[in-house]
Amino acid sequence: MTILHSKEKLTLASELIYEIKVKDAMTRDVIYFSQDSTFREIQSSLKKHRISGAPILDEKKNIIGMVSIDNVITALDEGYVNEKVKDYMSRDIITIPQNYSLVSAIKKFEKYKFGRLPVTKNTRTDKIAGILTMGDILNCLLVSIQTIAEKVEKKEDQNTLLSDKMIGQDKKKRLQFEVKKADFDNAGQVASMIRNYLQKLNIEKQILRRVAIVCYEAEMNISIHSLGGHITVEVEETKIEIIATDYGPGIPDIEEAMRPGYTTASEQIRALGFGAGMGLPNIKRCADYLELESSMETGTILKAIIHVEGLGG
Amino acid sequence: MKLSKIIEKCSLEKVVFCLDGEIKNGYTGDLMSDVIANANSNSIWITIQAHKNSIAVALIKDISAILFTNNVPISPEVIKKAKEENISILKTPENSFNVSGKIYSLLEGKTEQS
Repeated sequence: MTILHSKEKLTLASELIYEIKVKDAMTRDVIYFSQDSTFREIQSSLKKHRISGAPILDEKKNIIGMVSIDNVITALDEGYVNEKVKDYMSRDIITIPQNYSLVSAIKKFEKYKFGRLPVTKNTRTDKIAGILTMGDILNCLLVSIQTIAEKVEKKEDQNTLLSDKMIGQDKKKRLQFEVKKADFDNAGQVASMIRNYLQKLNIEKQILRRVAIVCYEAEMNISIHSLGGHITVEVEETKIEIIATDYGPGIPDIEEAMRPGYTTASEQIRALGFGAGMGLPNIKRCADYLELESSMETGTILKAIIHVEGLGG
Repeated sequence: MKLSKIIEKCSLEKVVFCLDGEIKNGYTGDLMSDVIANANSNSIWITIQAHKNSIAVALIKDISAILFTNNVPISPEVIKKAKEENISILKTPENSFNVSGKIYSLLEGKTEQS
């Protein structure tokens, strides 16, 4: 895993060195010397700025040479440390224009083994624009990678937020259906619609069937026995709640109504295959939780809950 | 057993033929709640209740074929709804007891062979 990870980073870095320009990575605040500076002056300045080399510029800020700590050591060693740099500095300088990509700079570092590259304004001039070290390049790459990582992270956060929001909207959705009195022809339609909707949510077949049965029986009950009402289905993360409400007249004896085979349906309704006295027992069998509240004044409220494990999975 | 085989063996009339699915079970009953409570999926349902609500019940229980017995009249609405919901509708002049017996022995015979 670790190896894979660092390989990925390397791929990213090698893409970046083609994209990033020298001017984006270089140090613009250049420490430099004139050709009349002595090695002694250079040595103390390098020490002060904690750098190991610097360009030599003329009055017009053109690069005319490079001096490094190595040159200073040699000067100390050979006893010309108080002399001016112009007679000893390397005039054979390698520069890089600021609009080149980092990959060319890296190639030059590899080829010439320099610690730093003076950067020119463009290919046609020696006028200095900045100075570039391998440290600058690494630093710039790290900053770029971090920025990319932050962007990705932000995007992922947004995506998570967005999908959470979408799931939230979807799953918290309440469906409400009107159920008309004695509308046997269309009865069962609400259950069908709810079933179709839940199917789209990828709910497990077994659960789907139980919800459909609860809805169907509740729908039939409203249609057969009441003055009309409505069914509400609320899908949440862990449960599906079905609430069937009617406008009356209410169930006189709930306990009796729950008894399988008990029915108050008319002969005509029973001839159609309804009113078998099995509606409520069926609901009870399919629901994990059932609550029935009935008043002879306001009507009946049936609340059934079916638990769902890992909705949408 | 394939639905088409049952149709052929029992000389049933095709009213709506949707899908020649595999029929594994059967259920005979005229009470909606009873069918809802007890029928298995992939069943053929034998009943005299030829109204739109029967299609809704079949749909809920994943019943793919309904056989109406005693030559009960089937309204165009029922046929339309069955087509919409992809449920096959069959018809026979025989009563539920006789045709259930035939289908039962077909399905059972099949299982004994295999």
